Amino acid sequence: MTNGNASSGDWEGRYFHVDQILDRPGPRTDPSFLAGEEVKDFLRNKCKILVIGAGGLGCEILANLALSGFKDIHVIDMDTIDISNLNRQFLFRQKDVGQPKAIVAAEFIMNRIPGVKVTPYYGKIQDKDDDYYMQFNLVICGLDSVEARRWINATLVNLVDPENPESLKPLIDGGTEGFKGQARVILPTVTSCYECSLDMLNKPTAFPICTIANTPRLPEHCIEWASVLEWPRVHGDQKLDTDDPEHIGWLYSIASARAKEFKIEGVSWSLTQGVVKNIIPAIASTNAIIAASCCNEAFKIATSSAAYLNNYFMLIGTDGVYSYTFEHERREDCPVCGGEALDVSIGKEWTVERLIEMLVEKQDIQIKKPSLSSGAKHIYFQAPPQLEEATRPNLEKMVSELVPDGGEITVTASSLPFSLSLRVKYV
Amino acid sequence: MIKIWSMKKNEDAAAKKKPKTSAAQIRVQKDLTELDLPSTMKTHFPDPADLLNFTLTITPDEGMYRGGAFVFSFVINTNYPHEPPKVKCTQTIYHPNVDLEGNVCLNILREDWKPVLNLNSVMVGLQYLFLEPNADDPLNKEAAEELRKNREQFIYNVKNSMRGGNIKGVHCEHAPQSPYSSHALELWHVVAATWVAHSLEGAK
Amino acid sequence: MKMTESQDIEQATTAIAAQPDNKTRRYDRQLRLWAASGQAALESSRVLVLSASATSTSILKNLVLPGIGHFTLVDSTLVSPADAGNNFFLNGRDSIGKSRAQEAVPLLRELNESVQGEAVVSDVKELLSSDSGREWITGFSLVIAHNLAKPVVDDLAALLWDDLANPPLIVVNSAGFLAEFFISISRALWYAASPHTDAIPTLRITRPFPALLQWARDLDLENMDPTTHAHIPFVIILVRAVDLWRREHNGALPTTMAEKRAFKESVLAMKIKPDEENFDEAEQQAWRVWSEPAVPSEISALFSLPELQQPSTSSDTNALPNPTFHALLRTLSAYVRLQRVYREQAAAEKTLFKELLAQVYPELAQKIDPDEVDTFVKNSHHVRVLRGRPWRAWDKERDVVVSSLSATPRESATHLALSALSTLLAQSSDISEITVDSLKKEVQSFVGPDVELPEEVDTAIGELARAPTADLPNMAAFLGGMVAQEAIKMITQQYVPVCGYCVLDLVDSWTGIVG
Repeated sequence: MTNGNASSGDWEGRYFHVDQILDRPGPRTDPSFLAGEEVKDFLRNKCKILVIGAGGLGCEILANLALSGFKDIHVIDMDTIDISNLNRQFLFRQKDVGQPKAIVAAEFIMNRIPGVKVTPYYGKIQDKDDDYYMQFNLVICGLDSVEARRWINATLVNLVDPENPESLKPLIDGGTEGFKGQARVILPTVTSCYECSLDMLNKPTAFPICTIANTPRLPEHCIEWASVLEWPRVHGDQKLDTDDPEHIGWLYSIASARAKEFKIEGVSWSLTQGVVKNIIPAIASTNAIIAASCCNEAFKIATSSAAYLNNYFMLIGTDGVYSYTFEHERREDCPVCGGEALDVSIGKEWTVERLIEMLVEKQDIQIKKPSLSSGAKHIYFQAPPQLEEATRPNLEKMVSELVPDGGEITVTASSLPFSLSLRVKYV
Repeated sequence: MIKIWSMKKNEDAAAKKKPKTSAAQIRVQKDLTELDLPSTMKTHFPDPADLLNFTLTITPDEGMYRGGAFVFSFVINTNYPHEPPKVKCTQTIYHPNVDLEGNVCLNILREDWKPVLNLNSVMVGLQYLFLEPNADDPLNKEAAEELRKNREQFIYNVKNSMRGGNIKGVHCEHAPQSPYSSHALELWHVVAATWVAHSLEGAK
Repeated sequence: MKMTESQDIEQATTAIAAQPDNKTRRYDRQLRLWAASGQAALESSRVLVLSASATSTSILKNLVLPGIGHFTLVDSTLVSPADAGNNFFLNGRDSIGKSRAQEAVPLLRELNESVQGEAVVSDVKELLSSDSGREWITGFSLVIAHNLAKPVVDDLAALLWDDLANPPLIVVNSAGFLAEFFISISRALWYAASPHTDAIPTLRITRPFPALLQWARDLDLENMDPTTHAHIPFVIILVRAVDLWRREHNGALPTTMAEKRAFKESVLAMKIKPDEENFDEAEQQAWRVWSEPAVPSEISALFSLPELQQPSTSSDTNALPNPTFHALLRTLSAYVRLQRVYREQAAAEKTLFKELLAQVYPELAQKIDPDEVDTFVKNSHHVRVLRGRPWRAWDKERDVVVSSLSATPRESATHLALSALSTLLAQSSDISEITVDSLKKEVQSFVGPDVELPEEVDTAIGELARAPTADLPNMAAFLGGMVAQEAIKMITQQYVPVCGYCVLDLVDSWTGIVG
């Protein structure tokens, strides 16, 4: 046995297919590719990869990574298995309903593919700190929420430490909806990030509240009437739990009654659930395509065996097969990866007021009326009056009392496209 | 692994590190500290350290709601500005575009929300509802009906509601800015005008 | 009547509705795409997959999960150490030396208890050599073949093409980062009846049916109360504006920029208050009148199908029956009225359609299921006829191939390189004979010695010479998704399958169509 196949559980010829790629370069392989044992050793014994989400994409991602030769895989998911997952999340069975996805998926992969270690975490991505994310070489996301994607994207962008090349973690993100999907590669601070493309997202459909209240015409209007207006009116502070069949049942009956009153057809249980949970249709085949694309990029990046996606791939399969591969450009005013950053050296005894004066006078930046904060701490806000008043006493304080050496200050002002970040050094 | 680091342009990469504040947090800081509100609108933060939960009080100085003080709660989630702020009226008020639960019919709070809009746009939009209540997009149907059919009666109801009166069996909260404000005088003018209108109609 | 209705409302509000059954819940996320009709079609399908490779089991996984009726996996070989390393539907090292098909089938079946699956340990070439084998193959509803030897695929494709009643065939070939698949389908009628199609229904604004026109003409804009005025549906406003415009312009629609502007102004001029949104909406929707409707080109092409008998009478409107109508309209009463008007028209047109059908195709009209007619009429905007081509027919037209090589070099080069690889693999079992040179020679002899090959050919060939027999896990999964997607589209007949060779390159991550 060769070095690359050193881990236990391997057998001769196990990686016959993958090794055809790793044993020699192709026409589009970067010259830095080290064919042979070295790259296999990195992939199979050293590379540590994080998978976020063990759902439709996550199940596929875990299987593909394991077969490709990644042996140290971590997976995070906060959800438990629902019966509606079983049409595509192929690591789960009827008996697993109610169990945590991350744990069941990890066990399944380890049973099926010997020698692969999958470490599950049943919880939120927000539970983990920078040190946790720092341990991985790569991160793949198969998430269904914009919010979670924004969080991990910002976290990985923030993680980039100018002095430490290891701190730059490629982020590969996939998403699907029905027969459509997309995969992208984000190299934090190098390529466009998730936040840069936020305006490409379809905004969720919302109906005017007065239409819902007075002139419903669509079944969706009746369902929104039940969930947005009637639920809080009747149930007060009790929160609507969209996973509770009794709650959905209640909404369904209220919506049906309203539909009947207005002679509207088409309110069904499924539509009610779809509208209130904002359900996106999902099938195994689209997830397979997108997950494969994500894992293929992870494999190429981890091994340098071929050029990787620059940086966005989208696929529409409703009418024939249409796909589009393009480079999404960074946004200069991106709130996460764009904007200016400055190192400032100030005296230890400088007051906040003096720092602000310096910012206003500094020729190359010329900030009008800056507001300053550091993390969750408000240093000085120009408005609204209550907050101005609350932060005014800080003007006379020394910056060094509020921000440690090397600490960050976020500056916003109407003259800045988004924000400016200051790194303070005391001299 | 590919050598990504070499692709980082040497630039000022050294200073690109950002503070540990979420994009939503920074955006809210930007929106709030750049608010340009007229004297008729005031924000209040129950916890000044928490920028995501606050109230806005609108005290219109013209129009039929002049003299009232209307309080709206703002709740901003961490997905802002991808999602709009959640805004509700905290009082029971008599207004065609605000229902008795405090839901507000303002397009930019739902169907027309875009991330380029900001808190200032929402606040200005809310104030506009008091200057120009809109009978065509009603949430409180009775109020809208009244506004359309009998403007004088509507104005009378508004004034009455702001004093804490009952409108069609619904008790409205006392909403004057100050019970002894100079607007009281105007109120009586309106009441008198309504009376005149009514008696004229009766005489026909 | 009123009593029953109010009782129903009461019932509906008091009883908490029960949630759907387990099967509906299990399939919820896909039923939103193809509804119960698509699901029923899937459940009655029988899919035959030839070879139990990693790609084949990936395809099957994506068909078993959504619930096809039955699958048969044919493979005569034993699990090699390499198979055990790259196929998820094998039990790792424990499967080595056992039948590939028999090892994979139980692991695929456990994905969905309601799917029947069978392993057949046979060689495809042998199956094709007997009449009973050939007949058995044609008994399925779809056949999928991955990396079969070239002569075997050619034979199989010829067999299935032979008879319209035979199942369609999907041919899949892959090596390393490159792959392609092709759907060989003799002919089929498709309704693309998906609620997700982006097509906009025609509203008959420029060719209003009588009830619509009457309504628009009867409007008394001057004496109407302001609320009603502000709630005239935009459709009616436009119908009225077009009617007036045509009277003043010899029946023509606005065509020049200036005319279009004048038309929009005529719409806005009907306002009595500046904030009447329905008139703004009508102005925004004015593009609907810039041209006559609009039988979609795919649909009008159907009328020239040689198989069709021309109807002896023709309908007076050159428009398709109306689909269900949900437009953004303002008040309830006007909306309900508008909906009713459209619905009545749709019903009348359906009756007309049935009359025509009985007249032109009396035999067909007798035996066809009335529900099917309803579905057809309802989805008439989305009907497509796909006319497939036989496997490799395109490749035989040398001139076309050569011009495609310069028009779409990336896609064409990849296709030619994969074809060359299949040819070489069929000639010799010695992998060392697959080289950049031998592949290039094969491509060159295929297109002719006088054709200069673009550099894309070298790129594709280089990649294939590097990994001529690699069934990479990620490519297998990618193809598994793509091919299953096409299979589902063909079986449910609600989405349109791809035409031509669909070529994939997972180095630069693109897909393309050629041929």
